[in-house]
Amino acid sequence: MSDISQQKRPFWTIARKDAAAGYLFIAPQLIGIITFVLIPLGLVFYYSLHEWNVLANTFTFVGDANYQMLLRDPNLPPVLLASAIFSAGLVVVNMSLALLLAVLLDQKLKGIVVFRTLFFSPVVVSLVAWTIVWSFLLQANGGINGILQVFGIEGPNWLRTPTTAMISVVVVQVFKNVGLNMILFLAALQGVPKELYEAARVDGASRFKQFRRITLPMISPTILLTSIITIVGSLQVFAQIAILTKGGPGVSTTVLVYYLYQQAFQFNFFGYGSTLSILLFVIVAVLTFIQWQMRKRIVFYEN
Amino acid sequence: MSRLSALKATAATAGILLPLAWGGVSWAQDAVNLRMTIWSANEAHLALFNEIADGFKQTHPNVTVTFEPLPYDNYVTTLTTQIAGGNPPDLAWIFETSAADFVNSGALAPLTDAFTNTEGYDLADVTDAASALWTKDGTLYAYPFSTSPFAVFVNNDLVSEAGAKTPAEMIEAGEWTWDNALATAKAVADNGKEGLVIRDFNFQTWQNLTAFWRGWGANAWSEDGKTCTFTAQPMVDAMTRLHRAIFVDGALPGPGENVDFFAGDAAMTITQISRASLLPKEDPFDWDLVPLPEGPAGKYSVIGQAAIGAFANRPNTDVAVEFLGYMTNPENSQKLAQFFPPARASLLNAETLSTTNPLLTPEQIEAVVVNGITNGQVISGHTNFAQIQQTVRASLDALWVPDADVTAVLQSVCDSVGPLLAR
Amino acid sequence: MKTDLSPRLRVALYGLMCVLLIPFVFPTWWMVTSSVKPISDIFAFPPDLWPRRFDFSTYSRVFELQPFARQYWNSAYIAALVTAGTMVVSSMAGYAFARIRFPFSNTIFMVVLLGLLIPSEVTIVPLFQMFLRWGMINTHWPLILVPIFGAPSVFATFVMRQFFIALPGELEEAARVDGLGRFKIFWIIALPLAKPALGAVAIFTFLHSWNLYLEPIVFLSSTQMFTLPQALTQFTDAYGGAMWNVQLAAATMTAVPVLIVFIVAQKQFVEGLAHTGLKG
Repeated sequence: MSDISQQKRPFWTIARKDAAAGYLFIAPQLIGIITFVLIPLGLVFYYSLHEWNVLANTFTFVGDANYQMLLRDPNLPPVLLASAIFSAGLVVVNMSLALLLAVLLDQKLKGIVVFRTLFFSPVVVSLVAWTIVWSFLLQANGGINGILQVFGIEGPNWLRTPTTAMISVVVVQVFKNVGLNMILFLAALQGVPKELYEAARVDGASRFKQFRRITLPMISPTILLTSIITIVGSLQVFAQIAILTKGGPGVSTTVLVYYLYQQAFQFNFFGYGSTLSILLFVIVAVLTFIQWQMRKRIVFYEN
Repeated sequence: MSRLSALKATAATAGILLPLAWGGVSWAQDAVNLRMTIWSANEAHLALFNEIADGFKQTHPNVTVTFEPLPYDNYVTTLTTQIAGGNPPDLAWIFETSAADFVNSGALAPLTDAFTNTEGYDLADVTDAASALWTKDGTLYAYPFSTSPFAVFVNNDLVSEAGAKTPAEMIEAGEWTWDNALATAKAVADNGKEGLVIRDFNFQTWQNLTAFWRGWGANAWSEDGKTCTFTAQPMVDAMTRLHRAIFVDGALPGPGENVDFFAGDAAMTITQISRASLLPKEDPFDWDLVPLPEGPAGKYSVIGQAAIGAFANRPNTDVAVEFLGYMTNPENSQKLAQFFPPARASLLNAETLSTTNPLLTPEQIEAVVVNGITNGQVISGHTNFAQIQQTVRASLDALWVPDADVTAVLQSVCDSVGPLLAR
Repeated sequence: MKTDLSPRLRVALYGLMCVLLIPFVFPTWWMVTSSVKPISDIFAFPPDLWPRRFDFSTYSRVFELQPFARQYWNSAYIAALVTAGTMVVSSMAGYAFARIRFPFSNTIFMVVLLGLLIPSEVTIVPLFQMFLRWGMINTHWPLILVPIFGAPSVFATFVMRQFFIALPGELEEAARVDGLGRFKIFWIIALPLAKPALGAVAIFTFLHSWNLYLEPIVFLSSTQMFTLPQALTQFTDAYGGAMWNVQLAAATMTAVPVLIVFIVAQKQFVEGLAHTGLKG
């Protein structure tokens, strides 16, 4: 450090150069977040206080009228209920199936890579293509009911009765994306130290007990993280609903994002659509906060 | 620069630029590109439109017209996106159901004066019944180029195989009623094929049921559009009958069942005559085209309309209106009539129409097209139709199950859509 | 739990996995076979697992009904551009947040993480208005700019940061002593080491862009500009009647190339994803 002895230190010290580089490195991301996330978030609120008529091209301040409408909207309770059922169903089915598949793939079996590849393959199939095929299969006289009928079973009208329609959209989404969670679980399972199992075996613990006492706690951070991602992802589901049920029958599969799209872009109620956006934001924020708290409680298992 | 010299400079610049700007206007007129959004991707349709556009070019060498087919399902949404995006087309096809939204919004240019001043246009030839929906305060805002009656296509082969009388025979005997038509449909369904398909209804697009329920004198809402009439007796009767036909008799395929009349899977289908182009060319079946059956409320016919409007306050609005006047003048209307039944009284006769519709016999044209257009009522639309359509669709979904309570469902339709109509 | 399994258990596990495979594999099979069935056979009973008659004209119909080649290109180039752009933006930001000390870096990181909290669906209305003001409606800019710089790239930045944090610092220190600047250290030393993480980011980003559906239907309004997911839902006859076999032909053409790439490179794919730093 010869420059310490010099009388005048250069302005661009290493630390300063580094800081400048740091700002330069994050600049594209930060400017992007400000432009495409933070400013729009402010604007959502601004628009939610206005009504914009596209055809007549008028933009008027309406105060809290859109929020009043939100409170009185008879469709909102069923829409929120549908969103909750969809998200809960999706997370439960997705996580349990992913875990089951990961445990199966963790076995010493020949040709396991082939199975892994096939279970994962829907992840890379175009979402809309995947959904279209399922919509084709789920028609009243479509492939699934055709096959059921071969075995003498009268299949339900999948997309036309509220319960089966909800099951259908959940199941289509699960099979599409469960491979992702499966791979993450598999990586977590393979990261569990083998010694733990050996010790347990010496103690005579059953397979099931080993799984419950060792595996589950050891992979719980992964479970939590994937569940956060799955829940937030489930609130964003749109294409599946638009293609499979268009929100029907009734409003039984109209989730919040789909309702928002209908109001803003089909009915041209941009103001009310923005109000629904605010609601969606609040829901995501609350859910993330809750999950963050849970993360703190199990922080013990994180390394 | 001092204030004075700045002023001088400005004045000088203006002196140079203003004449240029004026010149620019006339240059701008030199090349005009008009864009018309349409929802048909049919090649024969496009060929005809291009032919008409070329004809316009003879007298207006500076004008080119492009036709932009948008997907049918999302047509209105996509068109509104273009408008909202500050990029509306110059001209657009408009569904009858969204007529009110467009005509009332002030988005469309008035047409009456321009058309009256066009030589040989003869606006009076366009029937009032056809233009009513597109007129506000005596001014026409969109031209109804397609006034297409709903009719019944019949697969006589399937009907005969089931041992039933063909609709033509029933008409002959004066027995062409909804009861008999549904009985025939049931007979064919019992025989292993499907009975009657209300095309494009798909248990979603309920406005297409108008072709059915008008037979009972039913309507979705009152004349002024303010009151829901789904709970009125005619509608209850019509829907009860329809529900029985679907879920008890199996005369119509149920929800989610894909049945295509034109592939030979069903005995009859209700649709507009322009679908004749879908009839199979290879190993065709013996088909017929007949008017809608008589309902308890008597004879009736229902029309689906499509119109073309020109957007107001666009750089080329005047040219667009002029082109629209050319496209729908008597000669071109006659050309369009081979696909789109015309709204002009002078074209509404079997001789004229049979020259342009080689698929149909003069009798079919007389019975279905001419009578249909003359007496038909247009499907009702409403302002904010997208929302109303969706709201009714959601409530009506409960009807499409075997054990539905028809009266209760229709009550729920009015409960949910009533406030929207009254608005 | 890797112990040797008894033969009986082995057979049972194979059987279970084969049954479980059905819903994962059958749809793709059904899509491909149905795409070459004539429309009259498409709902035939009993269902044909192998077409009884072939009609390959569905594939040419795809291109007649829509500018499908153009739409394919649109999707492909947008996805490629977004993937490349995200890799640059996120690896730089991720590296800076992980390895460079600068004032407020933690605060800024928190602000950036907000992007994870605010799905793009929340901001779709104002984004529409913003791009409208910039004259970018019915252009591909919204589908390129927002994913590269906006909320969708935050996840990628997070993954990159987690990776760089775990990287041992000795190499960088050595490079520093040799007098390399920050950018060179990043470019020559850190980035080549980050290949697994970059691979995962590339896969995620490509699939995300390739699957976008809400954004294109909001921002694009002419068939020439459509992307594949949007185009796939529009295969109807001139009056809106569904054309299942043609639609499935288009779906097959959309899905199968990516599937083949995946099967060829499945090892890198799966292991890349397993390394996203999501292990907690």
